[in-house]
Amino acid sequence: MNTKQNLEKAEWLLANWNKETTYPEADRLDVLVTAEDLRSAVTTLHDAKWGYLSAITGLDLGVESGQLEALYHFCNGPAITTLKVHLPRVGDASLPTIEDIIPSATFFEREMSETVGFQITGAKSMDRLFISDDWPEGVYPLRADFKIEQAAPVEGRYVDEIPEEGVVRGNTFVVPIGPQHPALKEPGHFEFTVDGEVVTAARMRLGYAHRGIEKAAESRNWIQNLYLFERVCGICSHVHTMAYAAGVEKLAQVEVPMRAQAIRQIVAGLERIHSHLLWLGVAAHEAGFDTLFMYSWRDRETVMNLLEQITGNRVNYSANVLGGVKCDIGLEQAKVIKEGLDFLEVRIRHYLEVVTTDAMFLNRTRGVGTITRVEAERFGLLGPTARASGLVRDVRVEAPYGAYTRFPISAVTATNGDLEARCEVRLNELLVSCFAIRTLIDNLPEGPLTVKMPRKIPAGETISRVEAPRGELFYYIKSGGGENPLRIHVRTPSLCNWVSVLEKAVGRQLADVPMLIAGMDPCFSCNDRVVTVKHSNDQKTWSWKQLREYGIEYYKR
Amino acid sequence: MNTFTSFVSILIFPAGLTLVFTGMFYEWIDRKLVARFQNRVGPRWFQPFADMVKLFAKEQITPGLANPFLFFGLPVVAIAGALTSALYVPLMGLNPVHSFPGDLIVAIYLLSLLTMCIGLAGWNTSGRFSLVGATRALTQMFAYEAPFLLALLGPALAAGSWQISEVNRFAQTHWIIITQPVGFIVALIGLMGKLELPPFDSPEAETEIVAGALTEYSGRGLAIFKIGKSIELIVGITLVSAFYLGGLNGVLPFLLKTIVVLLLMTVLQTLLTRLRIDQTVGLWWRFGTILVLAQIMLIVFLRSYPL
Repeated sequence: MNTKQNLEKAEWLLANWNKETTYPEADRLDVLVTAEDLRSAVTTLHDAKWGYLSAITGLDLGVESGQLEALYHFCNGPAITTLKVHLPRVGDASLPTIEDIIPSATFFEREMSETVGFQITGAKSMDRLFISDDWPEGVYPLRADFKIEQAAPVEGRYVDEIPEEGVVRGNTFVVPIGPQHPALKEPGHFEFTVDGEVVTAARMRLGYAHRGIEKAAESRNWIQNLYLFERVCGICSHVHTMAYAAGVEKLAQVEVPMRAQAIRQIVAGLERIHSHLLWLGVAAHEAGFDTLFMYSWRDRETVMNLLEQITGNRVNYSANVLGGVKCDIGLEQAKVIKEGLDFLEVRIRHYLEVVTTDAMFLNRTRGVGTITRVEAERFGLLGPTARASGLVRDVRVEAPYGAYTRFPISAVTATNGDLEARCEVRLNELLVSCFAIRTLIDNLPEGPLTVKMPRKIPAGETISRVEAPRGELFYYIKSGGGENPLRIHVRTPSLCNWVSVLEKAVGRQLADVPMLIAGMDPCFSCNDRVVTVKHSNDQKTWSWKQLREYGIEYYKR
Repeated sequence: MNTFTSFVSILIFPAGLTLVFTGMFYEWIDRKLVARFQNRVGPRWFQPFADMVKLFAKEQITPGLANPFLFFGLPVVAIAGALTSALYVPLMGLNPVHSFPGDLIVAIYLLSLLTMCIGLAGWNTSGRFSLVGATRALTQMFAYEAPFLLALLGPALAAGSWQISEVNRFAQTHWIIITQPVGFIVALIGLMGKLELPPFDSPEAETEIVAGALTEYSGRGLAIFKIGKSIELIVGITLVSAFYLGGLNGVLPFLLKTIVVLLLMTVLQTLLTRLRIDQTVGLWWRFGTILVLAQIMLIVFLRSYPL
């Protein structure tokens, strides 16, 4: 079935609730539904197995229009169907929850309600997930009329204190992991209720690294935003600019030269190697196998050096510019990259052997956190986590973009769905990446590196999807025809994969929990990007002395 | 033995200060070797000593929910136990300071005191990580203690005495590792469990429960526990090498044999992934204990009915 037929099928499925249908782009279908019909429409698409829910975008259409817009994006291969719901800005903007139909929707819904101000009815939990605890109620940072003065911190809105009687209640007690914890090098907070060693409940809180990037994007121009979005993530910075640049180029109807696209793909491939080797080290450390951790990070230096050689940077490469790339790959560099890949391939094969044969390591990975194909589909998993369960979720294969249209790759899958399979999938994927990079270097198309981009991007909206090391990265970009974007919504792959951790931790041993968290390769800075405004007169800024005195007083009690 | 020499032997040589510094030196060897095996640079030779100086200089914070008496007392009891156990083993290849029939049991009991104190300390501070750590430390103790003791009883049975110095003398003419290889392996791995070294470090698995039972300890208390650990390392290694590796009859054999045992332990630490606590217990009761019991039965049988 091709894309057009697919979209027509979606239209036919949604015919009962359809208020207005548009085809904004060749691969997209927009269907307007009312809030009352939303659940039925989602259920229909879900039951018909038409794709998966990729993201929910919340938008404020502006004070004049008086409307909020919620967009439910369903992806099926290259075809995207968007359910649009319009609600009034003032008054009742309530939407029914769909988390009982699609579990991962809870994260999208909570993000949308915290930042744009939709009321989600019927949800199990509406605890704050992203926005900081002292943020005032009823103030939504992504509203068009939001002013920074509104965001003055509220004292004592939520205090996480230890109850007087201690922490043990009956046989169970809560083990907090994060936001500062040796297992998590990044800030996230999990509360695992344990009975002895067995986890009986799990809860999480994100948002400790919120930097308000989506808000910041609204006040920067298109070129500045490229560098802003590069900083969403420190590990997969290149794919963020790739998704952003691809979206903006699509809106401007600019065709990027093939050579530039190939170079983008080479950098993305090297970035994937660096990201997965980093993950392997972290996973090994969580399992208590520090030797593998040290070795994989040592070998990761090779790929870091290659990236530095191509782009001049080790972390935020800024290889992309709007309309192309800024760095070329010459013959000499091609030779160095190939030598580096020769070394890496040998090492990757070795690690593949270690993770599949080392009996002690298998003790901690085989059969742990098994996710079946059906569950993977139900949780809406993405990337290597989904592929380890046999579910092909890979934008490079499903909806090839950029250089992948000319140099296709194959998706790597495994069937077991446990941690071992996830290690295997990631490492095998690196071998595929190495092969793909070689092919691209050998067949690097000739041509210019950039084309001219307009300063102002024509009005319109588009969706840009690329495959990040952790899974599908989703960008929704809306332009009003000016120098700044109206709204950019980023949905990172980690966000979709959390459900698997929370569901799978229950019933497992506490010792498996860090492995489960690491198993999906979470990236916290990716999750947390929406909002925190710098408080100008923040009473909570303490000197070191004050903090120390507070600490001493606290423990005297 | 007069009071003066007793004091010297307990406080300065061979136990006491000498033991503390040797313990730190062995801890450094352990850390350095593991680091080199893992392709890291590793600490400088005085690092464990510098750590201790730093910890002693630091403020000690008592958690509000802890009993202060126990909080200060437990590290002292732990180190006292470890130091006392050192009196019964042939440190530096010299004769033990004290010796009486059955001191093997006393030495092992005193070594366990450290783990018990760590468990109690974790329970006393009632932090969440400490509680999980304490539970794991005590669970693990029940797992390795019996096989470790049985593994040391093997040579004792062969020597016909439960006195450490007697076994040491017997071992100087018999390399027991050749006749009881299973016992040696169990004793070595049991020692790693006792010291909570990887792969048996789940009681202090940093990725799950921070520092386990000792999470709330800082400053002096932590330093004393750490010193206790390094003393336990020396005493344990001395026992295993005296019993299995041809006895210890001088400083040079002592250094050589104990460092060989330490080297084996570091290689195992490097190669193995941490076990979950249930896997640790399973390993000991399903394999360790049964193997070593079988060996002891064999020894008893052979002693009763010589071939």
